This record gives sequence, structure tokens and C-alpha cells, in this order.
Amino acid sequence: MDTGPSRLTAIALCFMAVIWVSPFSWLLLNAFNPLSTGQLAWPERFGLDNFGMAVSGNAGRQFLNSMIIAAGTATLSVVVGISAAYPLSRLRIPGRNAFLWTLVLLRMLPSAGVLVPLYFAAQRSGLLNQLGVIIALTVLNLPFTLLLLKNFFDTVPIELEEAAYVEGASLFQIITKIVLPMSRAGIAVVWFFSFTGAWNEFLLPLIFARVQDAFPMSVGLYAAFGQQGAINYGFLTAFSIIYAAPAVGVYFLLRRNMNTGFAGVGVKG
Amino acid sequence: MKNQANPWLTSNLLVLGLGMLPAAVLIGALLYFTAWAFAFSFTDLALVGKKSVEWSWVGLQNFERLFTRKGFLESLWTTVIFVFFSAIVGQSVLGFLLAALLRGTQSTLRSVVEVCIMLGWLLPDIVAAFLWSATTNQTGLINAIFVVPFGFKPINFINEYALPIVTIANIWKGTAWSYLLFSAALDSVSREVVEAAKVDGATPFQRIWLVQLPIIRPHIATNMLFITIWTFTYFPLIYAMTGGGPGTQTQTLAVFLYNQSFSRGNLGFGSAISVAMLVIVGLLSLVYLRMLREPK
Repeated sequence: MDTGPSRLTAIALCFMAVIWVSPFSWLLLNAFNPLSTGQLAWPERFGLDNFGMAVSGNAGRQFLNSMIIAAGTATLSVVVGISAAYPLSRLRIPGRNAFLWTLVLLRMLPSAGVLVPLYFAAQRSGLLNQLGVIIALTVLNLPFTLLLLKNFFDTVPIELEEAAYVEGASLFQIITKIVLPMSRAGIAVVWFFSFTGAWNEFLLPLIFARVQDAFPMSVGLYAAFGQQGAINYGFLTAFSIIYAAPAVGVYFLLRRNMNTGFAGVGVKG
Repeated sequence: MKNQANPWLTSNLLVLGLGMLPAAVLIGALLYFTAWAFAFSFTDLALVGKKSVEWSWVGLQNFERLFTRKGFLESLWTTVIFVFFSAIVGQSVLGFLLAALLRGTQSTLRSVVEVCIMLGWLLPDIVAAFLWSATTNQTGLINAIFVVPFGFKPINFINEYALPIVTIANIWKGTAWSYLLFSAALDSVSREVVEAAKVDGATPFQRIWLVQLPIIRPHIATNMLFITIWTFTYFPLIYAMTGGGPGTQTQTLAVFLYNQSFSRGNLGFGSAISVAMLVIVGLLSLVYLRMLREPK
């Protein structure tokens, strides 16, 4: 670029970044302070004692639960989504766009609204467990997943598929060798959204998980506010950091894909 | 796209149909549950007690109560303020400014700012609520930096300015999404168009306002659609920070719905609230979709 940003802009941006991360200071100072009191203060000594507490016993179990729910939901959503979105993108099914948008709008129903019938259905079919949470979250995710994946498949030029067919490729080969690799960025975005969505989900597991063994971290953290009388800030802050880490980590793993993938979100209605 | 005669598709219709089956089943389930949520809004179903088993149809009574009893209209107003300031003004404008400013900067600065903003977005709702409660309480960061050193008494922001604080927390958390979307949109504006405008003597402001903004208009509409709806029904952050309080100051519709349904156990009335929310959101979406479709 010939017109670099003025120095002033750069300083303003740096300032902004500092403001943005400043709330984390409290989280870090307390998590690494074994004698934490929940105040914003420089620790007398740093230590990892809090993290030790936050990975053992119940807390470790909750981490595993969250991982199962999030990875399960993301993978199920993407697999179900792909196998339906490809036909939706390629076959001229009348009214498919209107249908997908209607579904997305329907999903705007606050999830507390569909929670009640969902709960009754899960109770009847014995799915008040992690599998139930995974299926329920996939159901709730699917309209977005379908719409986004269909939009990404629409951007794969059909000429490539024609050429492959002429060369003798089967439908399966066309999909696995051409369509999927070319929409890799989009699939990564959808997987990531489903993963973080399920990882963060609070309300659904709160109502589905009946025993403490089945709590994911979101419910565990909420429940730990004010447990055993006094709040143990050191434990809570360390637990928060561990809870936040995977979503942040997955994002940075997929970052390159994400930025390309985002371009597809707004392109077509 | 004309693709009537694509032999690899037409000869495999059965396989493609089978592929759509799982999604069709799940979508069917979603429609079924939604239909029940609608049906409940005409009943006096309760979470516990006698009416959880022997509920009856009460017609439009729940919907009348939306307007005759205190709560719904107040919550609607709180929600409108919250959505307008946190999503439309805060996240969109800030996200766009950042995207436009960072576009020309060198990559290190861009990465650093991006990462900082993303951290807020990636943080789970419950953690963000925890963090902001701590930052805005009497011993928190804001008091420690801006209030106490100047000799003022520490202010309990989360209690005294609950709605603004929740709004700021939501801007902090959500701006990354708008930023990413606008950033991708601006990248799709071809460099030649911008260069041409520059040659014709357009100022930087004109280049953004008259050239780039009209081109990315569909992205703006999509972004508005998504963030308005998300913010409208957003629940965990506010609930974990304030629980709707103090009093009902931060009771947005989503919190009101939860309190009515699961704290008071009025599932029927709760369903009526969610139907009303759906209608409002649907109307808003139609407006945005028109914005999206118009220029062709």
C-alpha cells in the first residue's frame, strides 16, 4: 500500500487493543496467585496451585464432558449438514432458498422456547444425557449449518465437476476429491462455530444434565459460584482459563481458513 | 445456475436423497418442537404442580397478559435499548471502523489487534460475565484506574449503571464478529475500483462512504440481520452478570422469558413471550432481507 496509516491511527489502535485485553489482568493475577482473594492485586508469589485444583477431580471430569459434547455436536452437524447441503446446492429443488431462510428464522425462536418440548421428548426417549445434548444442539444448529454449507458449495464451479465426470469419476469421488477440498474453508468455519457454540452452551446442559458427573464446564462454573460458603476465586479463575482455552486454541488452529471462510457468509441470500 | 442435465447427479438421485434423510429427520424434529412451543402458548401449562399434568387450553389469555400485566412491555423497551446500543451502534460501527482502519496497516499491528478483539469473542459467556462483574465491581479494574486515584469513592458500577455496563460487556464480547465479516467484505472490494476513485480525487472518507460502503451493502445487511437477532435473544451474559436486576433494570426479553418459564414455572405464559419474540424478530428480518435483495 502506498498510503500507510498515519502514526496516530496506529497509536489509537494499540491503545484500543490494550483496553480490550485489560479485563484479563484480573483473571490472570488471581489464577496465578495461590492466596487469591478476588481482589485486583499483585500476588506476593506466583504459583500453579489453582490450576492443579482446576484439573483434578470433578473439574477434570467436567472438562471431558464439555469436550465430548462440543466435538460430538460439531462433527455430527458437519456430517449431517454436508450430506444434505450438497444435494440442496446442486439439485434444482423448488423453493429451497425460501425454505432454508424460513428455517433460519424459525431458529430465532429463543432456545428457551423450544427447550420445554425438547425436554419432554428427551425425557420420554431416555436421552437426558450427553447424547441427548449432542442431538438437541445439532437439531438447533442445523438450519445455520445447512444454509452456510449450501452457500459454500454454491461457490464451487460446477464445470470442475463436469470435467471430472467426463474423466470417469464417480459421484463419491467428485465429492471427496473436488467439492470437499474446495470448500475446506467453509467446512472449517461451520465446524468451528458448532464447536464453540456447543462448548459455550449453558442453558441446555443445565436442564439436561441431572447429575453432577454429567455437568459440562459451563454449568460447573456457574454452580461453583458461591459453593461451600465462600467463593474460591483462585480456583474459579484458573478453571475459567482452562475452560476458555480450547475455543481460543481451535480458533488459532483454524485461523487461516476462518478468514477466507468468512467471505462466504455474507455473499448470497 | 442451470444444471438440469448433470449425469453424475441425475443418475444418483437415490443416493443424494438418502444423504438428505438424516437432516430431514432432524429438521422435522425441529419443526415438531417449534409447533409444540406455539401450542403451549395457548395453554396454562406449568413447570411443577397440578397444572404440569392437568393443563388446559386458555385461548388468547396469555397474549392478553403480555399487554395488560407489567413486565413484557418494560422488558421489550430494555431489549430495544440493549440491542440498539450494543449491537447496531457498538458492534457494527466499531467493527466496521476497525476493519477499515486495519485494512491498510502492516501485518503485525493487524494481527495483534485482531487477536485482542477475538479473545473477547472466543471467551465463553459465563467466563465473560464473571470477568466483567469483577472488572466493574468496587475493587475492580475500572475503579482502581479511573476512580480511586482521583480521590473519588469507589463506585459499584455493576449495581448503579447496570444496563450500560451490560451493554459495554456485550460490545466487548461481540465486536469481533462484525469486524471479521466487514474485514472479509472489504477484502472482496477490488483494488482497481478504490484506486480509480483515488485517481479521480476522492478523499479517504469519500472512498469509504461512496465507493466501498455501497459495494459491501449486502454484507452490511447480513451482518445487521445476524447480530440484531442474536442480541435480541441473547441470554447467558446478562443472566450470569445481573440476573435481570437490580430490580428489572437489565431484564431483557430473554431473561424475562427464562424467569417466567423456569423460575416462576409459567410455561404457557413463557411460550407466549417466545412467540411474541419470534414475531418481532421475524418482522425485523423482513426489513433486513429487503435491504439485502433490493439492489441487483
